[in-house]
Amino acid sequence: MRTQEQSGQEIHESVGLVEMNLREAGRTRMAGNTQAFLRNHAPFSKMQPAALQLFAEKAQIAFYAAGSLIISPDSGKVRFFYLIESGKVQARQAGEVTVTEYSILSLGPGESFPIGAVTAGRPSTNVYTAVEDTFCYKLPAEDFLTLMASSPEFNLFCTQYIASLLDQSRRQLQLQFAQRASEQQTLNSPLSGIGSRSPVTVSPETTLREALEKMSLAGVGSLVVADDEHKPVGVFTRSDLLERVVLKDLPLTTPIGYAMSPDPFMLEEHATAYDAMFAMATHGIRHVLVTDAEGKLTGVVSERDLFSLQRVGLRQIRQAIDGAHNVEALLQAAADVRQLAFNMLAQGVGAEQLTQFISALNDALTRRVIQLNLEKHNFDGIEWTWLAFGSEGRDEQTFSTDQDNGIVFMPTEGADDEGLKGRFLDFAIDVNRDLDRCGFPLCKGNIMASNPQWCMTLAEWKEQFSTWIRIPQPEALLNATIFFDFRALYGQAELADAMKRHLLAQTAANPMFLRAMAKNALDVEPPLGKIRDFLTDLEPDHPGKIDLKKYGSRIFVDVARIYALASGVHNTNSVQRLRLAAQRLSIRGEEINAVLEALNFIQLLRLQHQYLEGEPGRQGDNLIDPETLNELDRRILKESFRQARKIQTRLKLDYQVN
Amino acid sequence: MLSLKKFLFKGGSPSHLPEDVRASLAAWRESPAPPPEELHFHTRYVVVDIVSSGPQPESDRLLGIAATSLLRGTIQPDDTFYVDFSTLDGENATVDRQLMAFLLFAAKGPLVTYHVPYVGGFLQRAFRERLGVDFQPQWIDMAWLLPSMFEEKSHTVMPLDYWIEVFGLNGGGARRDAMVNTLLLARIFQMMLVRASGKQVDTAQQLIDESRASSFLRRTH
Repeated sequence: MRTQEQSGQEIHESVGLVEMNLREAGRTRMAGNTQAFLRNHAPFSKMQPAALQLFAEKAQIAFYAAGSLIISPDSGKVRFFYLIESGKVQARQAGEVTVTEYSILSLGPGESFPIGAVTAGRPSTNVYTAVEDTFCYKLPAEDFLTLMASSPEFNLFCTQYIASLLDQSRRQLQLQFAQRASEQQTLNSPLSGIGSRSPVTVSPETTLREALEKMSLAGVGSLVVADDEHKPVGVFTRSDLLERVVLKDLPLTTPIGYAMSPDPFMLEEHATAYDAMFAMATHGIRHVLVTDAEGKLTGVVSERDLFSLQRVGLRQIRQAIDGAHNVEALLQAAADVRQLAFNMLAQGVGAEQLTQFISALNDALTRRVIQLNLEKHNFDGIEWTWLAFGSEGRDEQTFSTDQDNGIVFMPTEGADDEGLKGRFLDFAIDVNRDLDRCGFPLCKGNIMASNPQWCMTLAEWKEQFSTWIRIPQPEALLNATIFFDFRALYGQAELADAMKRHLLAQTAANPMFLRAMAKNALDVEPPLGKIRDFLTDLEPDHPGKIDLKKYGSRIFVDVARIYALASGVHNTNSVQRLRLAAQRLSIRGEEINAVLEALNFIQLLRLQHQYLEGEPGRQGDNLIDPETLNELDRRILKESFRQARKIQTRLKLDYQVN
Repeated sequence: MLSLKKFLFKGGSPSHLPEDVRASLAAWRESPAPPPEELHFHTRYVVVDIVSSGPQPESDRLLGIAATSLLRGTIQPDDTFYVDFSTLDGENATVDRQLMAFLLFAAKGPLVTYHVPYVGGFLQRAFRERLGVDFQPQWIDMAWLLPSMFEEKSHTVMPLDYWIEVFGLNGGGARRDAMVNTLLLARIFQMMLVRASGKQVDTAQQLIDESRASSFLRRTH
């Protein structure tokens, strides 16, 4: 016999069960309704039924009246993923932002937000506001993460979105530079600002004699033939005079209309110098007439006008450097290197190529300085090499790099070693001084060829390397981070090769040294906060700032050096080191690519910072305030630091450093 | 919440009802209604639509109920209800349980629908005949409230399709199922709540009063 209590239990379960089923039926119906929307929008349209079902059964529907706030950085950790069903949402960057085009983003039906914040489980850096009456599907964060984990299509969508941020950021950077670049005259300048604004014109009826007199009087080599409305009908140049007048025996009383080159090439004022250059190259002409919208002549651009714009060109700089007869001539070239590097940054050249390019031109510059000084110092018959250390040695120079150099030489038999060293030191003092004048500041740590400590014979260098490797004292380890990144810049490269072979043999024989290097490299960690995105109080003298070199690129560089030495990689460039070492240590390709992307991004930020923030003529620093970065850059910077932490973790494991 | 056993076998339910339904009914009768002075944000509104065999509550049949709640201003997929009576013809005990389940789902809170005489009429008759319940919930009639809240869009009662069109919602074709209708109505209700707050109609009670006033005024003047 059942007790009353037992039957009461069952009774409740019975109606309760029906209610449960009907609620379930309700949910299924509502989910069906939501799915109908999802099926019309990517990436949901490509997702598996089970994933769609998950989304639809969990997504709430919220309404935001026009003008109302949806999320802001102040709302704390983002708890929902929002998918716009109808209406329009504006994403605006919170805080100080420099570039408006990018800082405001308009989102419409089928678009979602804030993917980065909800993935990372942190507050949004954007303010999202409904600009029209808006309905959103709101998926709770935990269901969003479940969906990320279970649906490959959704996962791809979200990760690609985050990856695309990198691309967007790079484009943004280019835009910023393009704006700066256009303030100066470049090939992007409109024709309205280039060339002659008041070209000499005559009417087609003008006689050749009058026209030639006018040319002679004005001291020009060409004139424009224009009709009554000031619309160009032809041009007449000195070469026309030869071909079309003299050789054809035309009398000077002939109207110029018969002798001119008709149908001149014209461009409107808003066309760029680049367009003009392209036209000249395509049509084999030397002048392009510039007109307003009505076709009336407003100016002439000549080949020469365009060349003067292009003064800052790679080849021109190389020619200027190689042809410089004294240091004064090199000063302009040094300034041009900076200008060209800036232009390249504006054109979207990546950090890796750019730093290598700066290094290449700086190399040329340094070589020329050395050559000029060799006219006063003669080392004929002596084997010697000018060495570059540090970032120069790694081909990773940014805009602000001081000198790090040294000399290795072979003593000649029976000669006075000290005397020879003295001669090299005198020479080095001159070179160091001239390099300083060219914009490579003297090294504060006195790592320069003029320092007797770093002007040594091959045997001495080898012994020095061996000592550092055998007894890895803190100072030795510090020196290793500078001196082991060397390459030959001038002279007999074989000496540098011998040093390198010695170095690799020694490190291979002393595993303890690499372990000590690893321990040293792990002393500095990327400035990632546990609560905040970034730690900005690591440098007591610069509160609120992050040293992108010390806490950013150096981490990568240090790890790259260790793996390069460990795997016998001869290269000094960090990107090459990491790529080659990864192959030898069989680190997966995409893993190392992510690391390299991160390094390149940090380098790009450094270059940007040094150029945009640096005062003209002063050495820029590496201190950035993450608050001033836009959302994308912040996010990518954070990801870059995560990559730094990742390779540090790997190093820690590989070298058993705790 | 389910410790309602002390109310079992009490109350005046019709004797033909299964025991479990009678017990649930008794418990429902004793349960308190949520306080109507709460702000919209804290009120659980239940938006409901029905399917019937015709337009006359007294002579046509109720075929289905679709409902969803609005909690914290948001439509919640976890809190929806759908019953289709037409598929379970004649199974009395099942229909009774299903109707009872709806009472539990509605939980004596304010009910939102479009055209109360129609929806309320069918529900009232079903509950009276099947469960012996005089179903008199706090109704909010959107058909009357919308012209009073959105005067600029219409001064008179219009068909629901008119409002769907005016608010730019995707009606999804002429033949909608009851749940789609309910969800559309819920969306319009969400918009209306924003408008209501703007007019200092801040609580469920005020909204219910507003609904009554608007239907009274418009019917009698």
